[in-house]
Amino acid sequence: MTTKRKPYTHEMTRTWWMKKPFYRFYMVREMTVLPLILFTIFLTFGLGALVKGPASWQNWLDFMSNPIVILINIIALLGSLFHAYTFFDMMTSVMPLKIKGKKLDNRLYTGAMWIAVIVITVICLAIAC
Amino acid sequence: MSRIQKIDIMRYDPEKDAEPYMQHFEIPVNETTSLLDALVYIKDEQDKSLTFRWSCRMAICGSCGMMVNNVPKLACQTFLRDYPDGITVEPLANFDVEKDLIVDMTPFIERLEAIKPYIINDDLNPDDGPTIQTPAQMEKYQQYSACINCGLCYAACPQFGLNKNFIGPAVIALARRYNLDTRDKGFQERMGILNSEDGVWGCTFVGYCSEVCPKGVDPAAGVNQTKVDSAQDYVISMMKCQ
Amino acid sequence: MLNYNPKRSDEPVWWALFSIGGTWFALLTPVTVLFIGILVPLGIIDPSTVSWDRVSDFASTFLGGCFVIATLALPMWHGLHRVHHAMHDLKIHAGVWGPIFCYFFAGLVSALSLIFLYML
Repeated sequence: MTTKRKPYTHEMTRTWWMKKPFYRFYMVREMTVLPLILFTIFLTFGLGALVKGPASWQNWLDFMSNPIVILINIIALLGSLFHAYTFFDMMTSVMPLKIKGKKLDNRLYTGAMWIAVIVITVICLAIAC
Repeated sequence: MSRIQKIDIMRYDPEKDAEPYMQHFEIPVNETTSLLDALVYIKDEQDKSLTFRWSCRMAICGSCGMMVNNVPKLACQTFLRDYPDGITVEPLANFDVEKDLIVDMTPFIERLEAIKPYIINDDLNPDDGPTIQTPAQMEKYQQYSACINCGLCYAACPQFGLNKNFIGPAVIALARRYNLDTRDKGFQERMGILNSEDGVWGCTFVGYCSEVCPKGVDPAAGVNQTKVDSAQDYVISMMKCQ
Repeated sequence: MLNYNPKRSDEPVWWALFSIGGTWFALLTPVTVLFIGILVPLGIIDPSTVSWDRVSDFASTFLGGCFVIATLALPMWHGLHRVHHAMHDLKIHAGVWGPIFCYFFAGLVSALSLIFLYML
């Protein structure tokens, strides 16, 4: 006897992530690497310019002062901070820590990592300047 | 205090329809009516052909998973008082629709069987009496043991939607449940499936699975912690090959 | 049909680089972008702090060199890993060339950082 089954498959479209705030957040999270990649390419050119000599280096510094480049860099900074926020949150799931047998509270865990960001930022700026 | 609720349900009869279509219903509900109550009422009073799965009506059997306003939910745990302006009900996403709200759960069952969801330990002997486990040992896997196999996490997971070969959140979380159980010795038997592209590595930590899980299993954490196990297993296997 | 005996994935290698890169991205990239990308170009920090002499000296030290390599390489491994997976999410089917291109690019930047430093 032939079956009367005729299962229907709904196709998943390329724009699935636009349909829910949760998915859009995920895409934005992933897209933070685009300004990062751009910035890192800028830095790579910078290192190359450094090697070529003081004149090239100055050219690169002038390039970095271009308003469009500064704008990209601001977006890269915002992307880094947003990445940090989501990355620390993911770390609490991937590597939960236990203090004396009790699971470390997520807010303390992420709070400690943000303090690390601030401390590292202050130390680096102090060394650089 | 009774009011009229608008419900739009996606219908599909494989013997009659080329594709699914929406049907509109209006039914009397009160403050306590669940979506499951509403579906049963419709079947009893308005359209006896409406087809859907249900059993315990108390969020423990995992039968009544479906899309409610495009969110995977259990019908018995969805209350119409929260949807005064209307509610759209569709079959659970990412699974083939058999009829109306019934989906083909075979892919889920296949994956579940593949990771051997039972204690694997040939050294356990009934004559030795019950195995002893401390509360701390049980705590390690307890959250993953709460899974009711409802499949909501598969409807939530876009990676399963994009790649139907992905093992999926619940199955990986359940593999973890057994891997973390001190009575179990089946870790290596499960790792083959978990170590593959369609195992844990199919996950990109979208995290929506944990958001929709009705039992607080947190499969996202389960899958991503298992990535650490898989990575360690990779290093060990590389060293063994030397 | 489900494959009950699938091949082991090489993903752990890329995931490890992604994780280390992601940690650097979260902890060190903010100050890097802030310093060289915003404060210095805007003149808020004195341009003399990034004179060619000062920066070359810094990059020539062991720790400075390590910092330069890490700042260029690690975020690239992180970023290109995400680009590779995002292409899959957007149903852009690049086949085997997708990951090859992505990781090649990350490797290229890593290699360039080493080569440039050596030349300095």
